[in-house]
Order: sequence, then C-alpha cells, then structure tokens
Amino acid sequence: MSLKVGIDFGTSNSGVAASDGSRVHILPIDPKSNVPEVVKTILYITKDYKTYIGQEAVELYYRHNVNRARRFVKQWAGEVEYHGSDGLFYVTDSYVYVDELKPGRLLQYIKTALRSENYNGTHIFERYYSLSEIIAIYLGALKKRAEALLHEDITAVTLGRPIKFSPLPRQDQIAEDTLRQAAYAAGFQQVDLELEPAAAALYYEMSLDRPQNALIFDFGGGTLDITITRLGDPRQRQIYASGGIGIAGSDFDQAIIQKRLLPHFGKGKASSRDILELVNTVSDWIALPELSTPRARAKLDKAIQQGEAPVQLKALKSLIFNDLAFSFYNTVETGKITLSERGATVISLQEKDMDIWELYTRAQFESDIRQHQVQIEQVLLDTVAASGLEPAQIDAVVKTGGSSSIPLFSEMLCRTFGADKVKASDLFSSVTAGLAIKASQ
Amino acid sequence: MAPDKVEEWIREVEERPSSAPLIIRFIAGRLETLTRRIEELRAENIELVNGRKVEEYERRITNLEYQLELLKRQVGSGALEPAQPAAADTTSLVLFAPSGRVLRVELAATELVPAGVAASFLGEIAPDGQPPYLLATSTQEELLFVFDTGRTVTLPVTAIPAADREKLDWQQAFLQEPRASEELAVALPISRLPLFEFCIQTSRRAFVKKIFKSSLESYLANFYLGTGVKLQLDKMCSLVFGNKTDRFVMVSQEGFLFCSDVDSLPVAIEDVLKLNPTDHIVSSFILNPKSSLLIATYNGKALHRDAGWVEQSSSFKSRGQPAISKERREAGTRVAGAAAVDENDWGLVLRSDGKLVTYTMGDLFGSGSLLAGHSPAQVLGFTTFRVPGSGS
Repeated sequence: MSLKVGIDFGTSNSGVAASDGSRVHILPIDPKSNVPEVVKTILYITKDYKTYIGQEAVELYYRHNVNRARRFVKQWAGEVEYHGSDGLFYVTDSYVYVDELKPGRLLQYIKTALRSENYNGTHIFERYYSLSEIIAIYLGALKKRAEALLHEDITAVTLGRPIKFSPLPRQDQIAEDTLRQAAYAAGFQQVDLELEPAAAALYYEMSLDRPQNALIFDFGGGTLDITITRLGDPRQRQIYASGGIGIAGSDFDQAIIQKRLLPHFGKGKASSRDILELVNTVSDWIALPELSTPRARAKLDKAIQQGEAPVQLKALKSLIFNDLAFSFYNTVETGKITLSERGATVISLQEKDMDIWELYTRAQFESDIRQHQVQIEQVLLDTVAASGLEPAQIDAVVKTGGSSSIPLFSEMLCRTFGADKVKASDLFSSVTAGLAIKASQ
Repeated sequence: MAPDKVEEWIREVEERPSSAPLIIRFIAGRLETLTRRIEELRAENIELVNGRKVEEYERRITNLEYQLELLKRQVGSGALEPAQPAAADTTSLVLFAPSGRVLRVELAATELVPAGVAASFLGEIAPDGQPPYLLATSTQEELLFVFDTGRTVTLPVTAIPAADREKLDWQQAFLQEPRASEELAVALPISRLPLFEFCIQTSRRAFVKKIFKSSLESYLANFYLGTGVKLQLDKMCSLVFGNKTDRFVMVSQEGFLFCSDVDSLPVAIEDVLKLNPTDHIVSSFILNPKSSLLIATYNGKALHRDAGWVEQSSSFKSRGQPAISKERREAGTRVAGAAAVDENDWGLVLRSDGKLVTYTMGDLFGSGSLLAGHSPAQVLGFTTFRVPGSGS
C-alpha cells in the first residue's frame, strides 16, 4: 500500500504530516528535536558524503567542527585570461586555499537559494551538487523517516510553496521547477504543489462551523505570504487575493547583527579597509564560513599585532577560525525569539577570545527592523486592496509561521483589523497539516 | 557602554515598565561576572609579575653556573690561573661532519658584512659525502657534541682552533674522534640549558621525544641521548631546548612542516610526521610568537612567513603543512634549512662554490634570495645567528 503526505519545506524548519481524511497526523519526524514535529531545514554532508538532517546534523556539525584543527593547502582552481594594459593577452593560474581537514559542510537556508538567480549549486569536497540535488537529499531523508514512522511506502507528496519565490516571474517558475524536480529525485512518483498560506487556510477551515472571510498571514524564516480567502464551505471556497514579500525572520537576524553586534567584531574601531571588509561579512551567513583562509588569518594577525581593535579582532578571529558562525547565528535567532515573549534579553556568546554580551530590548529590535515593517505593512494593505474587501469585511486574521508571533506585527494586524479578529494558528505545523489535508483530497 | 544604549534601555522601560526588573537583573548579573573576572585578572597579573621575577633570577643563576663551569675547568686543568679580562665576544661559525671533523671560523662584529664572504673552502666541501652541518654561536659558549651512539662530549668553543677563513680545509680540521661505527650527529650550545624545562630529540625520519631537564643528567651519563631511534637506518639529527608552552617546529627536506606545543610532544619516541620515503628532517627549532620563519631552499630562495602562518599539527599522523607548492616540489625544489628568525638576526649560507656568505635578515626578507650579490650556486646549508651582545 502506498501513501500520500504533505511536506512543508520551510526556510528554517520543515515538517511532514499525513491525513486519513478525518484527522491529521503531524509526524514526530525529528526525535532528537525539542519539538519532534518540527525538523530544522539543515543538511550536513560529511567528507565521505554521508548526509544528516535536522538536529542530528547540528549535533554532528558541532562535534566535528568546534575548535577543530585546520590545514590549508593551495589548490589549482583554474586559469584567468585577461588583456593587459600593454595590449597583450595573458593567461595566469588561479589558486584557492582549501582546508583539507574540513570534516563536512553544513547547509542551511536551502530554500532561500531557490529565489536566487545566481545560485545553481555548490562544490562539496570533490563533488558538485546542484541546488535540486541538495533539496532532493533533504526531502529524501524526510521521506525515509516518514516511511519508517508510518511503516508504509510513500509515493506521492503535496509540497508547500510560497506565493512568490521571486518577484521575477521567470525565476519564480525556475524555483518551482527545481523544487518539483528535487521531489521526484527524492523518490516521490507524484508531486503536487500548494501555496503555503492556502494550506494553512485549509487547516484553519477545519475549526470553522460557518463560512467566513479569512486573511492568512504566513510569516516564517524566508518569506511573508498573505492570502485572503473565503473559507468554511468547500463549495464556495475562493481566493480573493494573494501577496507576499521576501522579507522574514532571517532578514531580522541580519538586521540585529548589522546594527548591534558588528561593534563586538571591530566595527567603529577598526579602520583598515581589508579588516572592515572582514567585519562586514559577519552578517552574511553564506560568506562567513568561507573566510577561514590563511590570508584572512594573516590580515587579522597583522592588525591585532598593530593594535588595531585587538580585542574585537581576536573575537572575529575566534568566530571565523573556531567555526562559531553557526552558534553565533543561532544565538542571535534565539535572542530575537525571546523578545516575542518579553521586553529584554541578552545576546551572549562566550568562547575562546570572545565575550559578547549585548543587552537587547524589544524597543531596540523594533527600531532596527522599522524599515522592514514599513514594507511589510505596505504589502499587507496592497493585498487587502487587491482582494476588493475592506478590512472590516475580513472576519478572521490567522497568523502562522515563527515570525508571525513578533509583537510588532501582531500589533500591526490588531491595529488594521481589530484585536478580536487576530488568531494564532499552530505556528510551526499549520502549513504542514494543511498540506496533508490537501494531499488527502 | 555607549550612552545612546542606556537611552534606548530607558525608552524600553518607558514603553513597557515590566521590562525594568529584567534589565536591572541582566545588568546586575553582568556586573557580577565582570567583577569576578577583574579579580581573576588581578590574581593572574600578580602571578605574571612574580613570574617575571623568577625568570630574572633564573637568568642570573644561569650566568653564575656558567662562570662556575669555566672556573672548574681552569682548576681541573692544573693550576688556577689568574682570571683573564673578559675578551669582547665574537661569533664562531662551526662546521662539523659525521666523521667528527670540526672547523671553526671566528668573526668579530665588525667583520660581519651584509652579503659578505665570511670564509671559503680551499678544496672539498662535503667530506663525508654530504654537506657539513652548520652552527653559528657565541665564541664564549660551551658545545655539547652528541654521537649517534648517545655518547656526548662537552667542549668550550674556544677549544676548537680557529681555521684560516680564506682556506678552509677539512684536512686541517679539529677532530672530535668518533669510536668505531659511531658518527657525530649534533653539536649545540648549552649555556642556556638551565632556562628550559625540556630537551627535544628529533631523528631524520621525524621520530621525536621530549626529555625532562631533570632526566637529562642521567641521559648524558648513560649515553641515552639520541638512542631509541626505531628505524634501523634512521638517526638523531637535532636537539632543541624548550619550555612547555613553546611551539616546536621541524621542517623536512621536501618542505613539510610539523608544529606542536612542547607540552603535547611524546615522552616516548614516536613518529609525528608521515614523511615520503625519500624525505628527511633538515631543521627543528622553537618558534617564538614574535619571531617569523625563514625557509631556505637549495635553489636559493628565502621563504619568509609569519609565525601565525605555521599551523598547529592536528595529529601525529599527518603529512605536515606544505611550505612549498606541490608543483615546485615535483619540479625538484628542496629545503636546505629553516629557522625561527628576528629582524636583528643574521643568516649564514654555505654555497656549492665553497663560500660561506652572511646576510642580514632585512636583506633576506627584502630580496627573498640567498644568493643576492653573488654568482649563481646551490645552497648546501643554512643557519642563523645573532651577534653576541645585540640582545637575547
């Protein structure tokens, strides 16, 4: 017997659910996680090309990498051809430094790569992995775990997708095709896609006893997706409007780093251009791990010896060369999440040569993401306008996704639609559950 | 603590008074941590200050021990001769061969010339089928000669007659005669020995062990030094003095580096670097964080690297950090010698045309060449030294 499941492949977290038509079962797909129904969208590929996902990937990454030894070897990367100012044509060898003791590569925010025009894949050790292959490995691991839990083969899947992967229609189509291709490569024989907020709407609909106009505010790690829909009567189900923007949790993390944490690594104290380039890379989670080269180390050592912000640059060196980037981003994200519950938190990271302590308040956070909030509010109002409904005609506003619990946005929704209409659905699993319902229909 | 941050915290409290106790608790917790840390740092500072004093006394003791040793020798030789006024210290360039032959060239500070020829061989350069070992040291030093059987001989540098620097000739060399089937492996100055906790023994095939200073006396007495080499064709090639936290570095002829804290080195002999079958260790030394590394190749290149460039070896089974590229290694580039250097040091190069040439480090760092100012030749040996009296 074969089965059809729903998979929410999220930017930060993912989930798998199955529905028997009357009930939805969110699968405890990551037994090592604090919330087993939610699995981190993280993939770790080791030097011998073994793959791990979720909490297991995180733990293995820490075990392998923190404070590990490194040895850089210079490898021939190719030839650079150029015309010199003397009019002659030159060909020169190009080399890169490769850490030959690197035990594995951690990949996160994989879904975000779908919206990039320039990211097609990456080299991991000697092999090239296309983006589709990377996603296929992750989805394949989810499928395997789900089959083990359900004791059945899973042949079909309904996958969630945001309203817009990209504002460019061509890129949006490429992203959808890549996701679909990855699902086939993962072993699914039938692949359907459903808009994530529409899936959340289906789950919400289960709780309704009469028709209503609902706005689904799906705000996760990578995108904000809004759908305004008529729910409650499957025969009259109708989507009035959909909208979205590529701003979400990971952008807020970046804002916190840029505005609050870069001074701990030399911003405002270091003055040389080379060093400032390194400092500014701290907020870029793709580029930061790539900084661990002998050249960067030499630059930092030289600046430290010359007394250029030595304490801060030692911390930067520790961040780069002790593989602390992942811990650092996690700490920032945890700080941000804490601010949804209380007015102040401390973003703190104590490691060798590093003592970050940043008292951070909700008022500061709201000030730091003010620009993003303005854009998001505009998208919300535009989507409501496109639906042809007045805010007063919307009966319920359903929040889902981790970022939807940020008070600034809850307040924005309450202000626009009235506090009594704003409801929180299951923040991390309502899309997953909705996809399972869709799969079973 | 920037004042604008405090303003922002106050704004938070104005917006949400419930945040006030939280903020106060966070700040109080941080103050407590910082107070504890200040106390720890103060205690550490006191230890450091004490440590410096200890180091100063150790230096004085070393000096006194050395003076005493000189006096003992004078007494032992027969009559206690009246103390001679201390002569201005000079540099001795010592060349020695496995057959026990030793040549010494004495140079006053004023005779050291950048890119100058310090001495020249008249005839054969490599008396035992291999270039001689090079050592440059103060003329007032005491040398420990170690044979591959573990037998040692101690000798003041001045006991080796100074050779005619323009006509170096192995036939005229001083002979520290080996016993049957015995070869001279190492010569090193030992006056600073009391300053160190360990003596590190290295073999040509990268077998290493550290010997506690307290055990060294029995090692010397029982001829244990240099013994314990595991491979039949291997033999000891260097002894280095170091302290627990020092970084020990060795460099192979094919340009691979091994680096480890002295503390992490094995006390039982162990191979710490996987060498190619044709490779062997050419230099080993302590790399001070303030020093840098200079690697000399046979074809005359002087590769200068910061101390930070040298990576701590991750295991004793690694192939080492490459100092020369694979392409150049495959093209035949080999290392003639390497050393930890400071700007005030001098470099000594033994050339295939028989000349011993001295260079300032400034010149070597600048030109990157060990052959600057002279006709092309192969570099047969390389070492560094500091002019006596120019700083520790």
